[in-house]
Amino acid sequence: MKVLEAKGIRKTFAGVRALCDANFSLLAGEVCGLVGANGSGKTTFARIVSGLLIPDGGELRLYGQPVDLRSHLHAELYRMAMVHQNLSLVSEMTIWENIVLGREETGPLTFLNNRKAIAQAEMVLDAISVKIPVRERVKNLSPDEKQLVEIGKALAKDPRILILDEPTASLDFQQVESLFRAVRKLKERSVSIIFISHRLWEITEICDRLVAFRNGETMGQLDFASQPRDERLIIPLITGQELRERARKDASLREQEISHKGAGGPALEMRGVSLDDRLCEVSLTLRRGEILGLGGLQGQGQEEILMILAGYLKGHTGEIFVNGKLVPLRNTRHAIRQGIALIPGDRHKEGLFLEHTVLSNLLYPKISLHRGSFLLPMGRYQKLAADAIHTVSVEPRNPRLIVSQLSGGNQQKIVVAKWLALSPGILLMNDATKGVDVATRQNLYAMISLLAENGMSVILYASDNEELIDNCDRVLIVFEGRIVKEIGAEEISDEKLVIFSLNIEHSGEKAAVAGPQG
Amino acid sequence: MKIRRVLQDPSFPSLLMLILLVVVNAIIQPEFFSFQVFRMNCMTFAPLILASLAQATVILVGAVDLSLGAGISLLTVVMASLMKDSAASIIGVTALGVCLALFLSLFNGFFFGYFGPPPLIMTFATSTMWFGISLLIMPTPGGYIPATYYGIYSKTVGGFLPVPVIVLLVAIAFCLLLGRLKAFRHLYAVGGSERAALASGINVASIKIFAFLISGVFTALAALCVVGQTATGDARSGQGFTLNSVAAAVIGGISFSGGKGNYAGAIFGGIILGLLTNIIYFANITSFYQEFMKGVIIIVALLFGALPRLRRALLPSREVVR
Repeated sequence: MKVLEAKGIRKTFAGVRALCDANFSLLAGEVCGLVGANGSGKTTFARIVSGLLIPDGGELRLYGQPVDLRSHLHAELYRMAMVHQNLSLVSEMTIWENIVLGREETGPLTFLNNRKAIAQAEMVLDAISVKIPVRERVKNLSPDEKQLVEIGKALAKDPRILILDEPTASLDFQQVESLFRAVRKLKERSVSIIFISHRLWEITEICDRLVAFRNGETMGQLDFASQPRDERLIIPLITGQELRERARKDASLREQEISHKGAGGPALEMRGVSLDDRLCEVSLTLRRGEILGLGGLQGQGQEEILMILAGYLKGHTGEIFVNGKLVPLRNTRHAIRQGIALIPGDRHKEGLFLEHTVLSNLLYPKISLHRGSFLLPMGRYQKLAADAIHTVSVEPRNPRLIVSQLSGGNQQKIVVAKWLALSPGILLMNDATKGVDVATRQNLYAMISLLAENGMSVILYASDNEELIDNCDRVLIVFEGRIVKEIGAEEISDEKLVIFSLNIEHSGEKAAVAGPQG
Repeated sequence: MKIRRVLQDPSFPSLLMLILLVVVNAIIQPEFFSFQVFRMNCMTFAPLILASLAQATVILVGAVDLSLGAGISLLTVVMASLMKDSAASIIGVTALGVCLALFLSLFNGFFFGYFGPPPLIMTFATSTMWFGISLLIMPTPGGYIPATYYGIYSKTVGGFLPVPVIVLLVAIAFCLLLGRLKAFRHLYAVGGSERAALASGINVASIKIFAFLISGVFTALAALCVVGQTATGDARSGQGFTLNSVAAAVIGGISFSGGKGNYAGAIFGGIILGLLTNIIYFANITSFYQEFMKGVIIIVALLFGALPRLRRALLPSREVVR
């Protein structure tokens, strides 16, 4: 039975077409993937189905009945719930307060019935096998726990249709696994699920079927009951073109190139760097022109390494050498002067001034380094910005646009362009492609690897193993603040990354942890 | 477990500070623990504590109320110009004062809730309005407050309960009651993350109005105390309360960005500021230095607010449960 059917849904925002012919159907008790590039209309569609947006046209049927959803609450009447991409949790409140938030049951005299609410929250989390004390404050949770609580919150509405909008964007594979366990549990209870994600292996892993959107239109679908669970079949649906074979050079060739450039000494060296209980005696060497990956579970200290190098974190011990010189890196300005640039993962928080123009965003780092003349050489800067926009191919190519008007992928391109404008010697990427679609991601990495060939050194941290596999010359696995393993280019594989990430190489638990793709 | 909860409470640093100040005060003021001093202190502290509760409510929802002091002034002016000796008049005008306080806060809340202007500017504008009206009614301090009214304020019930303490107890009871209301939970949600509150189906505008309305209740109580204390109407009598109440709330661990902290902190903050004035007075510091010292001590108190960060570094973090 089709629990949800959408035909020819249209939606336009201020003249920009978000959806023009979206068709979608969802069967009872199935998990259906929804894929597409940034700006393809996935989120718009999800918001329409959950009543947050009213479509301009098209037909929506729920449980066979045509409906006209007017609001969020209206959609909830049809037992529809959405788990938001940007978490809708209040971090200062406890888990149970968040789960019942907005739907508190009140006793006589409208007093809150906390005991009942706590019991309900516990029951809901129990249903998806989540074991977190419900009295904990949300701010103390890890990203995956927050995501699970968010799902719990949606489940408290007892939905029959659940929309998960990029629930895994900030999770590592182990956390994704715990999320998937929850999704399977729901499926058993015959909840129908729409699963939106950019990570294709997740789609092939958890979904029964997938639908692909491109530029607001449904491009096609794959039913895994009759077709193989192969990512290569999905990519053409998303990008509209066959995937270029990985533009990766042979590992040994890269090795030769790097050691050739490395004659002048390493670009960066950390010796015994510790930071209270977060990092312990981290030593690493980054060679010129090398792309060095940091792998491992989330929150093991990878970000701390990058943050120290970028001058954000203070109070570390140990020595850091840039181009053979001992440097203090006491603040971000120091780091920028040393030619170290950090591309942050959370573009809304650290990467961009959303209400400023593309032009000024691109120029901030440059201007902060300006010395000499009293007036800024704006003419030269503008040309520089135009070049940067061209290099990263931001669309539309208008430097006067306000950044918040651009799509997510383009925003992230600007974050990258902004730092590349400094022509840094060392580029740090902190999960920089989080929530960026496949095509844009490939663009970015093609650009990065070109720059690396010209001598820029890169340290890349990604929560998605695939990015490490595709782009790194070497991967260091970080576990509980230590570097526990180095994986050379020849050996980088998903299985290895997973096994070493858990640091259980010798404990014989390999079998228990199947790789996400395996 | 219980102890940990107390230690982690946002108001905990201010409690430490409070204890410290009580000790200092007791040392330099020999009769600090006598009933007479206690009664006097309660009389002077009560208005600021109540104003801090009012300000705390508004800060918790993510706003700030700069019109609080001017509102108190306006109430004193209105009450002093209307009150007569008869019991009916005293009761009637007091009730009118409370209604007026609620109206003023509702006015702020309505504009803030529905049109979302920056609360700082918005309430600055209303504060100028209230001040203007007060001056119009009473250009110079004066008016008449019957002795019966201010007599009550300095009375002691049953030989051990000064009236200001009763007022504070009523306020605390009101706080406890609020804590069990659904709307009050939503107030924290809106202050903590407006987006999350929206996504949870909370009517954000009405919660903002609710917050201002509650703050109006506390403002009204504060104004009644001020009138009892000064027995005059003065368009400038409330001025000091605006920023002192903000300082008290922030010292009490209430996050200026909203959604974090509690009323206990506001009460501690209010008492701290009161004790500071006491200490400076009894330490025989030249009056010229008094204001300066007060500022310095407030900064120290704010640094105390940085304690949570230190504490986080010291206390072991929660084990990740899977």
